[in-house]
Amino acid sequence: MGRLGAASPGSTGSALLYFHLVTRSARALFTTLGFAALAIALSSCGVGGLSPIFPEPVSPNGQGIYNTYIGISIVAIIVFVGVEAALLWVVLRYRRSTQPAGYVPPQVHGHTGLEIAWTLAPLVIVLAIAGYSFAELQKDFQPISHSQMLVVVSGHQFGWDYEYENGVVVHQEGSLTAEVPAFVVPTNTLVKLQFRGTDVIHSWWVPAISGKTDAVPGYDNFSWLKIDKPGKWRGECAELCGTGHASMQIIVQAMDKSDFDAWMAKQKESGATPSGSPSPSPSK
Amino acid sequence: MATTVLPRPKAYDDTFFKPISIWLTTTDHKLIGIMYMVTAMISFVIGGIFALIIRLQLSQPNLRLVDDSTYNQLISAHGVTMIFFFVTIFVTGIANYMVPIMVGARDMAFPRVNLLGFWLIPVSIILYYCGFFTGHALDAGWTGYAPLTEKAYQSHSLGVDFWAMSIIVWAISGIMASTNFLTTIVALRAPGMRFSRLPLFVWAQISTSILLLVVGAPLAAAMILLEFDRQLGTQFFTTSGRPVLYQHLFWFFGHPEVYVMILPAFGMISEIVPVFARKPIFGYMSMVAALFGIVFLSMTVWAHHMFTVGMNTYVEGFFMLMTMLIAVPTGIKFFNWIATAWWGSIDFTVPIKFVFGFLATFLIGGITGIYLASVPVDTQLHQSYFVVAHLHYVLFGGSVFAIFAGIYYWFPKITGRLLNRTLGEWHFWTTFIGFNGTFLIMHTLGLEGMPRRIWTYSNEAWAATNIIITISSFLIAFSVLLFLINIVHSWNQGEIAGNDPWQGNTLEWATTSPPPPYNFERVPPVRSFMPVRDLRESGELIEEPPVVPALV
Ligand code: HEM
Ligand SMILES: [Cu+2]
Ligand SMILES: [Cu+2]
Repeated sequence: MGRLGAASPGSTGSALLYFHLVTRSARALFTTLGFAALAIALSSCGVGGLSPIFPEPVSPNGQGIYNTYIGISIVAIIVFVGVEAALLWVVLRYRRSTQPAGYVPPQVHGHTGLEIAWTLAPLVIVLAIAGYSFAELQKDFQPISHSQMLVVVSGHQFGWDYEYENGVVVHQEGSLTAEVPAFVVPTNTLVKLQFRGTDVIHSWWVPAISGKTDAVPGYDNFSWLKIDKPGKWRGECAELCGTGHASMQIIVQAMDKSDFDAWMAKQKESGATPSGSPSPSPSK
Repeated sequence: MATTVLPRPKAYDDTFFKPISIWLTTTDHKLIGIMYMVTAMISFVIGGIFALIIRLQLSQPNLRLVDDSTYNQLISAHGVTMIFFFVTIFVTGIANYMVPIMVGARDMAFPRVNLLGFWLIPVSIILYYCGFFTGHALDAGWTGYAPLTEKAYQSHSLGVDFWAMSIIVWAISGIMASTNFLTTIVALRAPGMRFSRLPLFVWAQISTSILLLVVGAPLAAAMILLEFDRQLGTQFFTTSGRPVLYQHLFWFFGHPEVYVMILPAFGMISEIVPVFARKPIFGYMSMVAALFGIVFLSMTVWAHHMFTVGMNTYVEGFFMLMTMLIAVPTGIKFFNWIATAWWGSIDFTVPIKFVFGFLATFLIGGITGIYLASVPVDTQLHQSYFVVAHLHYVLFGGSVFAIFAGIYYWFPKITGRLLNRTLGEWHFWTTFIGFNGTFLIMHTLGLEGMPRRIWTYSNEAWAATNIIITISSFLIAFSVLLFLINIVHSWNQGEIAGNDPWQGNTLEWATTSPPPPYNFERVPPVRSFMPVRDLRESGELIEEPPVVPALV
């Protein structure tokens, strides 16, 4: 297309005016960047609430998602900075007021090479991201067959029930104020979660563990977790399920094997089993 | 060479002070267009008020400003109002006004269908709000997922029924408008207005209409089946039926609907950038091709809203890939806009400021869209505040910024008067800062685990972010106030615009502002997709001074 010469800066441009324009546009940029910087600063100060990333994952599938997120972010930040910089350049450089008087822009109608280039570049980028994401999908989102423990998680208006293989059930009835009983799992154990909806759709989400899984009436849905250290993690129901939706807290607690066994024994004593269900081997 | 004498510009506006009987019965596409746009703006204000109440309730943990049930009705009404009654209606209105003029037609192909199509919209809106008067409006979000909307869980209210009726009427209206647009563009083009010379805004309207034509019926079908469940006792989407089927039907409409809202916005951007940069659009053909690429792809991605329902991973992979591929045609458009402005001589008036506001923010919405398309990452982000931030970046930062650009650009044509520039600058900066202040940090809430559609929360760690968001949202409200003042003020006493205040490219600038009922005395010759610019450059355009204002 040529005509590059037409775009060379005019000698008539007044430095003062230019400076004024630069500062003005820079202000807009800084407002935006300011928020981002504020976000990062606050989160590193531990104020919380402004973290640019998920909580530290405690389960391998959560870690996989976390890594995918980071991978996409690297590309995303490059694209973001590149394109915003191009926009800023256009805004600063091609203002009529900074162009030489009588400047007539080159009447370019297109450029096949460039147009092909910016068709192919995004194509390559998204294919890479899609491939990378698909690999993670195959790795961590397949139904698993070799779990060490199975828990049936059923959602209802408004709460969660966790039924262990031995028939023990933890009832997490929704509450806005009180802390709900924890769903307890042993550490370093591959726990398969089987989700059921009994009335409307709910979605089980503990960000530190992994993504969401919907509990839909009519069929079972699956996920898993394997937590490597003792601790307590929180989540909430993520699918609007009625007025009590906000009260459907989730608490997952991981305990060492011995603590877990003690906890389980106590549950059985206190009769946390639903009526009539047999409770044989507590083995995993 | 024959010269085209432009009609004398009007120095006054006789459009609006018409008897109500004319407004009620007019088949003039311009008056109908204005009614669409005014209806949409009223919805915008109402939806905005809902948003402010929502934000006040969320500003701090454990607030009890409204109760859970009211809150759920408010978010549903906010979403429905903004999507169905504001953005879609506004872009239909501006197209109703501009498309016939841009192709050199006197009116739409079916003026009376146009009349009916418009009047179905107030019917649809009133039907929806009837829910509030029966004591309980829709409270399941704008998506209205079954089985929450089924009789078993909503027996106490007619709100869901009114919503379903409203949406059916809305879909019929949309199908009518789409048919009308397509027929007008195909059949009523002026001599010389070949398809390869259609303005890009018109191309955008073709693609939008095709989309709405295809997906309007499945939406109505979803609503009808839901009503069968509720009223006749069928079991399509009930707890013992197939709730996920509802999601498929809804999103087969729902995803293309976001393109129904954004493609006209793309069209407006493609019109405005060349005019203010004084350069032709870069890559006209690839712009058109990209539109149709988007139309095709957007019908193959609906299940990206359903990555947590438990589909086969290969199916999920397919929807992920198709979704990400939309970045390709969108990227083409984006880079072509930048290339159009590159080397230009950009006059930074208010419309182009909103265009750059659009480019800067829509980019963020596009990038967060890639995160959401990635199935593993989406299982974290889905139904969280990250999604709310994303959808506002594309809907507000995208469609609404473009709508504002379009308003500042075409208001002089529609009313004969320019919008006040100072107020416009203030409007732009308050919107831009308020918008980013509200929605940029909202992403982080989602990452930290705050689900959307919760009426209250107890986590103190989210308090600081939420209060900043709420304060910024009031800055947006303030900016809308400035905008409304500007509209009312300029409509009455704004600077007289003349026929062609911006030195435009397309045919609407070769008639008076506002145009006469028949649009053109004689349609100017069309030799490219920039007919008016061609005439201006070849010296064939003779502008007469404005008529002296009549003293009434
Ligand atoms: C003053 C500006 C606005 C503010 C402060 C605002 C705020 C919000 C908030 C906080 C939510 C989430 C509610 C929840 O999930 O609990 C929401 C949802 C939503 N907003 Fe906005 N919004 C604004 C403007 C808009 C505009 C202009 C549009 C569309 C063009 C829009 C479309 C939506 C939609 C579709 C939803 C989803 C509703 C649902 O969950 O069913 N909003 N908005
Ligand atoms: Cu819920
Ligand atoms: Cu979608």
